[in-house]
Amino acid sequence: MAWRVGVDSGGTFTDVCLFDDATGRVEVWKVASTPSDPSGGIAQGVAEGVALVGAVPGQVGYFGHGTTVATNALIQHRGVKTGLITTDGFRDLLEIGRQKRPDLYDQQVEKPPVLVTRDLRLEVAERLRHDGSVETPLDEAAFRAAVRKLVAAGAQSIAVCFLYGFIRTEHEETAARILREECPEVFSCVSHQVAPEFREYERMSTTVVNAYLGPVMQRYIRRLAERLSELGVTATPHLTQSNGGVISFEQAARLPVRTVLSGPSTGVVGAQEIGRLAGFPDLITFDMGGTSTDVALLEAGHCRLTSEAMVHGYPIKAPMLDIHTVGAGGGSIAFIDSGGLLKVGPRSAGADPGPVCYARGNTEATVTDANIVLGTLNPAFLLGGRMAVRHDLALAAIDRLAAPLGMDRMATAQGVISVVTANMARAIRVISVQRGYDPRDYTLVAFGGAGPLHAARLARELEIGRILVPRNPGILCAMGLLLTDLRADFAVTRLNTLGAAALPDLVSAFDDLAVQADHWFAHEAIARESRRITRTVDMRYAGQNYELPIRMPDGPIGPATLDTLAQGFAEAHERMYGFNAEHEPVQLVTFRVEASGVVPKATFQPQADAGPDASGAVIGSRDVFMPEAGGFVSCKVYDRDRLCAGNRIAGPAIVEQMDATTVVLPDMVARVEPYLNLVLEAA
Amino acid sequence: MNDFTPAVVSVDPITVEVIGSALSSIVEEMGEALIRASYSTNIKERRDCSTALFDLAGNTLCQAEHIPMHLGSFLDLIPHIMKRHPVEQMRPGDVFCGNDAYEGGGTHLPDIVLAEPVFVDGEMTAWAVNLAHHADFADRGHAHIYQEGLRIPPIRLYRAGELQTDVQELILLNCQVPRERLSDLRAQMAANRLGVQRFQGLCAKYGRDVVLAAGSALQDYAERKMRAGIAAIPDGVYRFADRYDCPEIDGEIDMSAEITVRGDTMHLHFEAPPQMRAGLNMTMTALLSTVYYAVKAIVDPTILPNAGLARPLSVTAPEGTIVNCVHPAAVNGRLGPCQRVVDLIHGALAEAVPDRVTAASNGACFSITFVGHQPSDNRIWVYLETIGGGFGARAERDGLDGVHVHMTNTSNLPVEALELEYPLTLMRYELVDGSGGAGRHRGGMGIRRVYRADHDCRVRIDGARLLSRPWGLFGGEPGGQADIRLHGGAVAFNHGGGGLRPGEMIEVVTGGSGGYGPPGERDRDAVRRDVAEGSIERETAGRIYGV
Repeated sequence: MAWRVGVDSGGTFTDVCLFDDATGRVEVWKVASTPSDPSGGIAQGVAEGVALVGAVPGQVGYFGHGTTVATNALIQHRGVKTGLITTDGFRDLLEIGRQKRPDLYDQQVEKPPVLVTRDLRLEVAERLRHDGSVETPLDEAAFRAAVRKLVAAGAQSIAVCFLYGFIRTEHEETAARILREECPEVFSCVSHQVAPEFREYERMSTTVVNAYLGPVMQRYIRRLAERLSELGVTATPHLTQSNGGVISFEQAARLPVRTVLSGPSTGVVGAQEIGRLAGFPDLITFDMGGTSTDVALLEAGHCRLTSEAMVHGYPIKAPMLDIHTVGAGGGSIAFIDSGGLLKVGPRSAGADPGPVCYARGNTEATVTDANIVLGTLNPAFLLGGRMAVRHDLALAAIDRLAAPLGMDRMATAQGVISVVTANMARAIRVISVQRGYDPRDYTLVAFGGAGPLHAARLARELEIGRILVPRNPGILCAMGLLLTDLRADFAVTRLNTLGAAALPDLVSAFDDLAVQADHWFAHEAIARESRRITRTVDMRYAGQNYELPIRMPDGPIGPATLDTLAQGFAEAHERMYGFNAEHEPVQLVTFRVEASGVVPKATFQPQADAGPDASGAVIGSRDVFMPEAGGFVSCKVYDRDRLCAGNRIAGPAIVEQMDATTVVLPDMVARVEPYLNLVLEAA
Repeated sequence: MNDFTPAVVSVDPITVEVIGSALSSIVEEMGEALIRASYSTNIKERRDCSTALFDLAGNTLCQAEHIPMHLGSFLDLIPHIMKRHPVEQMRPGDVFCGNDAYEGGGTHLPDIVLAEPVFVDGEMTAWAVNLAHHADFADRGHAHIYQEGLRIPPIRLYRAGELQTDVQELILLNCQVPRERLSDLRAQMAANRLGVQRFQGLCAKYGRDVVLAAGSALQDYAERKMRAGIAAIPDGVYRFADRYDCPEIDGEIDMSAEITVRGDTMHLHFEAPPQMRAGLNMTMTALLSTVYYAVKAIVDPTILPNAGLARPLSVTAPEGTIVNCVHPAAVNGRLGPCQRVVDLIHGALAEAVPDRVTAASNGACFSITFVGHQPSDNRIWVYLETIGGGFGARAERDGLDGVHVHMTNTSNLPVEALELEYPLTLMRYELVDGSGGAGRHRGGMGIRRVYRADHDCRVRIDGARLLSRPWGLFGGEPGGQADIRLHGGAVAFNHGGGGLRPGEMIEVVTGGSGGYGPPGERDRDAVRRDVAEGSIERETAGRIYGV
């Protein structure tokens, strides 16, 4: 008998999700996080969680982990002292970037701190051309001297990025060799191994972020591995990357830049699997927490992968799920600005002091306070009765907003919800309409502490017809870890014009990538029958600079492949931009291979239909303000834990559980599907 | 002038906020579509474009925050279209195209605007508009506007959805890189089409009258915020003067500002010499957009960029001068004097709101344009880029190093894209040591860029602060001066124009920015850090900072 364990370690809580392969039993355990050394909380959580289910650590057959260590080190600038060596004339590129200032109008804003100070950015003579020819050979002696200088200055990590280093790798390979010779104890990385793609600033930034985080991640992983092995966990631990797949600890320590979205990506993977089980492959995920909301779009069960994004002010070229974040959460503060309009966020009261109703000193109304006033949240207790709230304080806070707005209390509270809903709708438009997808064709999956509370209104705003609320919306990330395949992405940029002449390059590029993928499969000990390969080509019209990823057909590459690519590109371009430039030459730019190792995953058992009658789960009723019903309306309150498959709830209604509250609006009906997820649809 | 007042509907502040979010979403989507579908480096990488929605009276409902200068190219556009084309003849799918500084509301000819009326339930309701800076009309003279490129009044490029091929062919024949122009125009079409659809969707949801009423409430809202911000500034008359230079002219010219703050209104008056036979003249719309940007940034950067913010402001300048030119003055390089007008406004208001203004920024928009023939097929290529510099030191913070300041905010082109597309090699790209003006808070550093021609090409360089240094504030010292140098045997340029042969190089050094407060008050550690990083010399640290 083997237990699969997923651990999501966040800022406040460490969630442990345990799944018994044999019986399908799922248990969840929460412990306080230990931010100074998260491995402490994780080890404690695993030990207690395993004991809770009456097992021993040796019975853990799989250990998956999502972490915010890399993200937090980047946000708080707690990486190591890092050096950079680059092409002569370009050491300030890291600082100048694309010359854009941080804000168009606000003159007081600072640029994010440069991760390598100017004195640790050194130049060496070498220069490559765009065609791969060498204009100036690498001055190896100068490079060696630069390395020594950085080490002497106390650099704990060194990044190397040369212009065109990804087209002709010799200079960077020589650099890597010299680094190994000179300072094997210092973390180092070279640009073509971190992000072998064009646009030098973004590649340099990615390489530097990787170097900056490298030693932090190595230390963390080493400590966690030790603690797990002390505990008696013998399974190979895995860590989620920003692309939603997991990799071994060893790989994560080498490329930490690929884990900066580790946390939110596991939620997307969890939602993906739950959507698949429930039969809804086209999803928009809506993960709303205390300070921010993450949204992503999944088409046919797959989240769009982006190869570049700005993360906490730093451009990063790495495969990442296309997750968009806005500063809107339950703790977001509502205020009236100097022009008299009601605004919500991005400032947040967080978990401490938290909303006004927590009575911990905050006096500015938050989204949670509005929900307390409206009655959508339980006005007496939260967290399943564990935490008392002050209804009177929430009322007073909303009243302070209502007076200057000239609106009544309830309209103001509802207004806070409308404004925050509009902010979130805008975030969803970024990942849907801006990418050519119509949100009305998708199911909204609502999770995180505040997602199910706001999903119904958000869906109305976007005209989304169906909402899926997972059984455990608060711990979906930890659960996602039990549902994730091993995954690695490989890419190479090789510019070609679509046509017969491109075939040899197409074949050889994918052959090279396949070799890399095979190497990785072998390294991760993935059985041959569990290996999956997806190939894509980033394509554009010659002259454009943004590419669209086009899926390659499976099987051998031949002239027919080119036709498929051409057709795929035409369709994608039409969808994205509304036109096609027929007869214009099309270019193949970057070739990508996504390698996944299918691992046995937690499988959930459907529950028998218990009929539509949900009255057994009713635990009371309360008046809730719903403008859709013309004001206060009496709502039955249901206990989520007592709902059975097949139960139906007609809105207006409230469903409470320990980690979330779900609002069912009038004219909506919620049904419990066989995997105990709630599905909300128009009545 | 406002004959299009929508039916009076009262809209509560929350609906206004929600519709405001939706309008912002629409113009952002339009901008994304434009950038991603375009072909020219100037748009696809440098993002030199803007998108907006207007009401029928020509008031900005919402503009995507790309480039403040483009506010100007939009300001007068709709009235110019209306003047030429009777509303009753407008049809869904009509698209107007224009660029003229005197007949189209534009500020210089490369900025081509496409405007499409939005029809809702058969009724004309709003305008979707976008502008793209087409890097064309290069290697021209600038004695008057007729030398600067093709002048296009607002005319139909599409009539009821049908491309007017004749018009398009006329435009393309006047362009040096027609293939890029055509593709960029297509991308502009795609952006407007999106804007039209989205705006119609919004009206379908909330009702046309509610959307228009919210649009007008949003303008009132911007006005209220602007008034509240101005009211917080002490009443008074504030003055400042500076000198302007650029490669096109010999010597320097005087420019000055007089700003009167009274209650919740602000009047700004500018003086400058008569317009010149050089491309540095500003139309009134260019001056207005400059003032709107600068005042919004100083007073309250969160004010929505719509027409309401202008209501408490009045702007004057003598007609026929560099800051308010008339036909046929050349206007291509108007961005340089616009940048200087922003500095003037900061200088004047320093006494009134010392914590909001900055010391002088680099006071220029350096632009360099290369024109040549592609070695492979002899086609003409044109490459334009702008180079940032120091952003002025602030009351509580150092200035920003190496950024685009004020009226512009384009991205630079990656070296690896530049060299792939054009026969040029970038030799150096770095901050200029010592160019940040000394002060309690140090000025930002300028940028050095060194280009090598790999084939014959013509070059034109524009910029400013070649003869003076960006001033400091309250005891802060001036920042580094700009410079243009030639290397490798290149023949001296004439008024910013010249040619390079293979192997010859041009080095452009942009200005730094002024410091803020006495250098002696600078934090000692900050001085030591600047020395360690090479941003200032050890000798400077001792002599000026006493460290």
